[in-house]
Formats: sequence, C-alpha cells, structure tokens
Amino acid sequence: MLPLKRLTAILFGLGLVIAFVPENTTKQYKLTAGEMLTEIQFGTEMVSSDELADWLINKDPSIQLIDIRTPKEYEQFHLDNAINIPLNQILEDEWVDYVDQGIKMNIFYSNGTTLSHEAWMITRQLGYENNYVLQGGLNYWTETILNPSIPSPYSADDEIAKYEFRKGASQYFGGDVKSSTSQSKSKASKPKIKRKKKKKAPQGGC
Amino acid sequence: MGPLIPQEIIAEGWNFFIAFVVGVGFGFVLEQAGFSSSRKLAGVFYGYDTVVLKVFFTAAVTGMLGLLYFSLFDWIDLNLVWVNPTFLWSAIIGGIIMGAGFIIGGYCPGTSVCALSIGKIDAMVFFGGIFIGIFLFGEFYEIIKPLYMAEYLGNIKLSDVLGVSQGTLAFFVILVALGMFYVAEIAEKKFPRKEY
Repeated sequence: MLPLKRLTAILFGLGLVIAFVPENTTKQYKLTAGEMLTEIQFGTEMVSSDELADWLINKDPSIQLIDIRTPKEYEQFHLDNAINIPLNQILEDEWVDYVDQGIKMNIFYSNGTTLSHEAWMITRQLGYENNYVLQGGLNYWTETILNPSIPSPYSADDEIAKYEFRKGASQYFGGDVKSSTSQSKSKASKPKIKRKKKKKAPQGGC
Repeated sequence: MGPLIPQEIIAEGWNFFIAFVVGVGFGFVLEQAGFSSSRKLAGVFYGYDTVVLKVFFTAAVTGMLGLLYFSLFDWIDLNLVWVNPTFLWSAIIGGIIMGAGFIIGGYCPGTSVCALSIGKIDAMVFFGGIFIGIFLFGEFYEIIKPLYMAEYLGNIKLSDVLGVSQGTLAFFVILVALGMFYVAEIAEKKFPRKEY
C-alpha cells in the first residue's frame, strides 16, 4: 500500500500545480534565422509596382493593400482601397484577422520600403503567410506608375512596352499624385478567417 | 523546441527508426511486466489482478503531465502535437469490440504480439484473429463506411469539449486514475486467486 500512497502524493502534487498555472500560450517563432535569410535573399516577398498596377487595373479581388504609415500620412495620401495599420499597432488583436489569414494577398506599403519590410518580417516570423511588400514603396510607385519617365527612342522594345503600360496605368490612376487620392475612407471588408494548419503533425496511434 | 520531427530538428526519415526502437522497448517492458500472460489481462475484468489497468493509467498520467509541464517550460509546442481525430460511433463500437476481445482472448493487440514472440499458442490464434478481422473490415468497408465515418468531431480534446483548461482536466484525470487505483487494490483483496 505504501507505493500507492507515495504515487498519490506525487501525482496529486503535480496535478494540483498544473491545474492552477496558466496555460502557456506563447507562440514560438515559426521561422529560423536561416529560413528567414533564404526568403530575404530570394526576395519572394517583393511585389513590383508594375505587377501591383496590373492587378489593381484588373480589379483583382484578392489584393489587400495595407498602409503601414501613421494615420496622419494615411489621411494625406493613400492608395485606393488600402487600409491603415500603423506599424506600431501591427501586433494588436484588432488586426490579427487581417495579417494572419489564408485568402487575400496582403501588400504592405510605406513611403520607402523600410517600414513595410519591418512589418513583413514581424508577421513572417510569427509564421503568417500571404503578406508581401510593395517594392520601392510609394515613392517608387509615384515615380514609375504615376509619372513614368519617357524612355529614349533607342531603348529596347520591352522598355518601351513597359512605358506604354505605365502610361496607361498612369491615366487609370489619375496621373497626378494629388488627384489620385480618394478622400473616402475606404475600409475593406474583413476577410473570413481561414487559418491554415501550421505544420502537419505526424499521425500516430496505439 | 519540440516536437522534434515536425519542427524538423530530427529529419522525418528517422520517424520509423525511432518508432522501431521505442516499439522494441515497449514490447520488452510489456513482456517483462508479465503482460504476455492472457490470465493477467483477463484478471482486470475479474478483479484478481489489476496490474494492467495500473500500468496503462500510470503511463497515461505520466505522459499527460509530462506534455503539460514541457509545454509550460516552452520545451514543446502542443499545437504541433498530433491529436487523433474523433469519430464518435467508431470509438464507441470499436471500444466495445476491443473490450470484448480483451476479456475473451486475454490480449490486447500489443500484448498478443508480445506473447506470440515467446511462443504462446493462444497468442498465435489471437494474432490470426486480428488478421481475419482486418480482412473482414477491408471486405465490408463500403457497407461499414457510413457508420465508420459517422459523427466526425475533428481533432478535439476533452478539455475543449468540457470548456476547462488543460491543466484542470489533467487534475481531474489524475483524481480519476488515483480513485481507480484504490478501487483496484480493494478488488484484488476481494477477489484473490492463487494459481493463475
């Protein structure tokens, strides 16, 4: 009977402790530094301004633009249908459904690429997918899409084709930066949350 | 850190090798504990020998506490640990069949292999029965399928269903296990059997 009593004491003690400690809900980092480096080197997170312009002109419904700058900057100018998630708020519960989802393609943008890359790195480290960065940010967007420079007549054909596309895009987006702003505060509908299974756990059984 | 294979700390190819080593160890311990005797297993039902019940409940409680403490110390990510999906009717009917087989044959699938390996004839018959069962299941799968797949509840945990924290549930499981240990002790005294 003695071993049973000892067992009771041990199990009861351990059980009591585990019943009253809070559950560990800390999310472990999903990507190692090495994996992160690979992704950065391949630049898979980058979306060029031409690609984005093409998607926007074709009204691709899967695109979700996310403005990473401060609300003030967002008020002054933002791309159509972009939502504003300032970088310092990106981890807040309010935005989790936007940045951690499996349906839309989120494109972060800021004036340059520093802020948007920071946002991307944070969300990527948490294991979120479908987040991308607008290459060159708004500055490059303005430079290439809104005010494309005319290539020299001796440029290669694809240079000229690119310019033709940009010229069209510029007309579509209003050409001039100031007039292309939409003052209406557009807020995209919240995508339905369809969390992806993180990593497959191996099956097992008795 | 853990689980080691889903986190790719150990390559997936090692999966079967590790399973093999653990399996051999498991079989060895089962045999050493006397689980290759069908009388010992049937003893749980008749109450004269409850070692099997104690061993398996101790194993379950140890595993449960181990996982919860490991999770508490950040040594394992419980979200990556596989939870068997629940098919309610399959579980109930399968449990009844397994329990009946346990009493009639005196083995569970694992211990029957154990006993087979030391040359017990009843275990060989039991083992043959397993394959007949597998064969029949395969042949009649299309007929059984609606029942087999019925009431799919997903990879649920008891703590989610009851709406309590995992720790609280673990504590209750421990209480149940301890209660069963004490009842088992009483049963062994009440239904003693000398020769088996």
